[in-house]
Amino acid sequence: MARKAKRDLTMEEQLARGPLDLPFLMLVLLLLGIGLVMLFSASYYTAFRDSKPPVNNNPYFYITRQALYAAAGVAAMYLISRINYQHFRWMAPLALGVAIVLLILCYTPLGVRINHQRRWLYVLLVIPKGPTFQPSEVAKVAVVLFFSARLCKRDTEHKKRFTKRTTTGRLLNWLEKIGFLELVPYGLVLVTVLGLVAFERHVSGALLVAVGAAAVLLVSGISLWWFFGLGGLGVALVGIMYMTTAYVRKKFALWLDPWSADPQVEGFQFRQGIYSIASGGLLGRGLGESNQKYGFVPEPENDMIFSIGVEELGLVGGYLILILFSLLILRGYWIALHARDKFGMLTVVGIVTLLAAQVFFNIGVVTGLIPNTGISLPFFSYGGTALMIHLAEMGMILSISRQIPAPRKD
Amino acid sequence: MRTRRKYEQGIGWAGAPTGATRGSHSKRAIFRRTIFLMGVCGVLMFIPLAWRLWDIAIVHHDEYQKLAAQQQTKDYAISARRGNIYDRNGNMMAMSATVYKLILSPLDLMKSVSNKDEDGKPLPEEIYQARVAARQDQMVEELMALVPTLDRERVTKQVHNTKAAYWEVKTNIEEEEAEALRAYIAENKTASYLYLITSTKRYYPYSGLAAQALGFVNDNGGAYGIEAVYNELLEGTAGRVYTTRTAGGTERFNTYAQYIDAVDGYDLTLTIDATIQSYLEKTLEEGIVDFDVQEGAFAIAMNPKTGAILGIASSPEFDPNSYSKVTDERLLAQMETDKNEIFEKLKAANTENLTDSELMSKAEAQAYSNAVNTQWRSRAIDSRYEPGSVFKAVVLASALEEGVVKESDHFFCSGVKKVADREIQCSKKSGHKDQDLTRAVGNSCNPAFMEIGQRLGKDKFYQYFEAFGLMENTGIDLPGEASLKGAIWDKDKMGEVELATASFGQRFEVTPLQMICAFSAVINGGNLVKPYVVQTVAAQDGTVIQNTQTEVIRQVISQQTSQRAADILEKVVSEGTGGNAYVAGYRIGGKTGSSEVGVTGDHTLVSFMGYAPADDPQVIVLLAYDRPQPKEPGSDWSTTGVYISGGNMAAKKAGPLIAQILDYMGIEKVYSADESAAVDVSMPKVTGMSLANAESALKKKNLKFRTIGEGDAVSRQVPAASTSIPGGSTVILYLGDAAPEESAAVPDVTGMTYEGARNALEKAGFFMRASGVSTYYGNTTTAEGQSVAGGDVAAIGTVVDVRFFNVVEDGYVG
Repeated sequence: MARKAKRDLTMEEQLARGPLDLPFLMLVLLLLGIGLVMLFSASYYTAFRDSKPPVNNNPYFYITRQALYAAAGVAAMYLISRINYQHFRWMAPLALGVAIVLLILCYTPLGVRINHQRRWLYVLLVIPKGPTFQPSEVAKVAVVLFFSARLCKRDTEHKKRFTKRTTTGRLLNWLEKIGFLELVPYGLVLVTVLGLVAFERHVSGALLVAVGAAAVLLVSGISLWWFFGLGGLGVALVGIMYMTTAYVRKKFALWLDPWSADPQVEGFQFRQGIYSIASGGLLGRGLGESNQKYGFVPEPENDMIFSIGVEELGLVGGYLILILFSLLILRGYWIALHARDKFGMLTVVGIVTLLAAQVFFNIGVVTGLIPNTGISLPFFSYGGTALMIHLAEMGMILSISRQIPAPRKD
Repeated sequence: MRTRRKYEQGIGWAGAPTGATRGSHSKRAIFRRTIFLMGVCGVLMFIPLAWRLWDIAIVHHDEYQKLAAQQQTKDYAISARRGNIYDRNGNMMAMSATVYKLILSPLDLMKSVSNKDEDGKPLPEEIYQARVAARQDQMVEELMALVPTLDRERVTKQVHNTKAAYWEVKTNIEEEEAEALRAYIAENKTASYLYLITSTKRYYPYSGLAAQALGFVNDNGGAYGIEAVYNELLEGTAGRVYTTRTAGGTERFNTYAQYIDAVDGYDLTLTIDATIQSYLEKTLEEGIVDFDVQEGAFAIAMNPKTGAILGIASSPEFDPNSYSKVTDERLLAQMETDKNEIFEKLKAANTENLTDSELMSKAEAQAYSNAVNTQWRSRAIDSRYEPGSVFKAVVLASALEEGVVKESDHFFCSGVKKVADREIQCSKKSGHKDQDLTRAVGNSCNPAFMEIGQRLGKDKFYQYFEAFGLMENTGIDLPGEASLKGAIWDKDKMGEVELATASFGQRFEVTPLQMICAFSAVINGGNLVKPYVVQTVAAQDGTVIQNTQTEVIRQVISQQTSQRAADILEKVVSEGTGGNAYVAGYRIGGKTGSSEVGVTGDHTLVSFMGYAPADDPQVIVLLAYDRPQPKEPGSDWSTTGVYISGGNMAAKKAGPLIAQILDYMGIEKVYSADESAAVDVSMPKVTGMSLANAESALKKKNLKFRTIGEGDAVSRQVPAASTSIPGGSTVILYLGDAAPEESAAVPDVTGMTYEGARNALEKAGFFMRASGVSTYYGNTTTAEGQSVAGGDVAAIGTVVDVRFFNVVEDGYVG
């Protein structure tokens, strides 16, 4: 297909060819670069020690895979950034549908079970071979997209009025007035997806879906009371569980005093993470010099990778990574604020908030700030398909950034 | 439009759009909320993260890093090889070798059983426990197969003790067996719970030889003897490996790793000579049997000029290779009686209401502990004894030095001497009558020495006592020199009676080592030397880092005095109470001693201090037997029929011992005229000669003859040509047709005098080779034994060895 001359383009198409946001792209690539280096450093001993296929004691196993996925992910990011994001509007319900189907597939024999969790599907779906992915990753974006696509129309959507003659009508009128009716479809979608994810035994995934959805809902301008109300309900629920369930109490106690846990069992991962970070000190042991990755920190290439990063690069390196993430997030919201339309804005807010939540939950766990959730660190943790999906999301943000109107020259 | 219709129809759930949009007035709210999210997610949320990082990496850096380092680092010692111990000729007396320990960790054995099934599902607790139990039972079988000597009950108990992570299944595993175990471990992949670790074992190739001097090594290093005193030099400095490690325990070779080599221990070369040591120990053993000695014995051989200990032995002995085992029969018997006594005692004072079996095991433990402590002791160093008459040498030397006596002085002994208000008897109750100084020493006459003591006076006595080193430890490089507290009266408490008894060596105590050093000073030219056992300390490449030089503590008496004292002491052996120590050809000097121990009256310690050659002493030997068992209470005769005294027991054993040592040292025999007369000669061939020629041939050889038969020519001779017979013997020449008998009964000569025995034997056609006392054959010298028992038939011309000995009363205060 020959490239059309600019004059032949519609206004829409011209906008879609705008420059992508370079700072954001650079931050993504920088984090991806650092992430790959750290993954190599953190993973090679684990890979070297792992005699099971497909690793077969190949120390380069993880980094090779991750690098290939990263390359594919960057390509995907670029391609997606070239798509006019207005097309995402019609894709959103489709994406949601696909996500829900995939989530349901997890419960069928097609799903891959690991440790009684059915979070995974093969990329090739029916052929039980090759890489796997988590449909919940897809669901996160799908929910954000779907919510954004619908909620952006709030400004043009008129409130509804019901007959006052029937009780139902009056009730509906009242519900419309407090904004409940508007939320029902979102609620239904959210409950469906959250339920499907949570019953995979993937509570952290559900949490992230909820955070993404909440961010979009919040920014779309719905009444804050809903948040306060739901938040209050949540706290109350946790409170009741705390009072009634010993398991929750134990979890809380562990969170408040993680050093009291059995250092070989519940407290193991926490301790090892802390040891890593502490060993780093100000300037770190130097790249590749971690001692903790030699079998002490469990799965150092995964959720705990940040602790290895700090051990090798020190507090300075850790802060640098935090700052890069912070800048990426700030730039993301900046793109949101400057987005051409509300759909773009909500999408970016959703995706960036998801990213921020993942960063917070991961590093929060590693540093012992919050209880263990099992959330990986974007761009760092091993996981090819997850990395690709993250990069694809970044591509969407870049796509939106292309259509930012140029500042007026007064 | 449908909804509108429904709305107009009043159907409740259908709504009509109103004028207001849902998101009206939302623009500013949306902006504010985005900015809010931006602030929270982009900045605020990083604050706690940054704070936590700071807190961990900087504030608690040291604390956590220490914990991290503990698990990350591997820090272990490389044991240094313990130095060897050689005797003076370089014979290996102690060496170390690598052995292995088989370790089982019951805890890890349990952990090695997976608590998940094949699909990774957790197993129910009962099934898991059953699997663990099955594995443990299997382990018991495996261990029993590997080490069949184990006690199954104990193994079962240990394997099931899952709290323990370290149990030494077997120690001291030699390389050969370790090889098999290693293969087993590799094959069955048991390394996580059953594995070998290296350790060292100390070997003493001579087993019990010089056991107390060498000591032994236990888990804490050298525990007794030289091993303990020289522990620091012997053990070397352990090296250290400090590396980081993986969680699996593998060392990581990186820049953090530190390797400090072990410095091996130094080798010691002793002054002790394994051969001389073995002579000493053999002599002790023989004496204990011959005299039925109850409380053990000890012996020291030393170079009197240098203080180098050539041998130091103590009985009962033990094998340092298995030092906690009691093997000495007498000691085992002692342990048994001890046990019963302790048991009775415990039973009488049983306040804790223990059962009999508990009391018995308690008693057993105590008796055992007593026994091992007894066998580990080096009595020559760590015990004190009353030196008895041996001490007279010191008094003699002091008196000669002070000029209060001279060789020409005469002493009269009536058998008793009154000192202050007490009558003190001589060992010879009838008295020695008139005697010169030499005879008085030779007779070991107590009244004579009381007088010498009196002439010396309390002050001088005390002064010399101190000068001879008897009031301080010798400073030998062996552990456990006995404390000298209360060994002798304070000077101001010493009265006339005390001085009198002290003058013949009674009622005060010294250690045997002190005594031999003091005696050495008397005979070696007057120098008190410091005894030592370690000659050189050398690194393993042979570099000598320390070589012991003789240390003269002080000159106690003059050279001349020493010479005079030595001359007198030589006569003790050649003419006096030490006669039983006489060995032809060697000039042995010495002094006997018998001392009463305790008040029961039946506990005598008999000793002999001898040195040789008298004119140039090369070796001095102190030999003592503690408590020969008297035949009956109060008897002076042992159960084996030997008169209990130093002269009859210790001297008799010391003579051959010293001769053996001198022989070994390559010191040539020098015979006196009398002695050479009795030296063996080779019988010439006289058969076929005329009687006159035969006579002159025999005369050349210092042989006498008698003839049997008639004729001129010698037709036969007894003994045959080239037979070795003592000089001065009377050979038999057969003349004419006379022929000798083939054999005859040997007469019993025991109890006869020298001449009597010789005549009796020669008359029967035998020859006598005398041994034992010197050529000075007094009235008391009688034959004590013969090599062919009386009444036995032997070939005519057989040389019968007859051992003579003196009954010596050199004793104690009666």
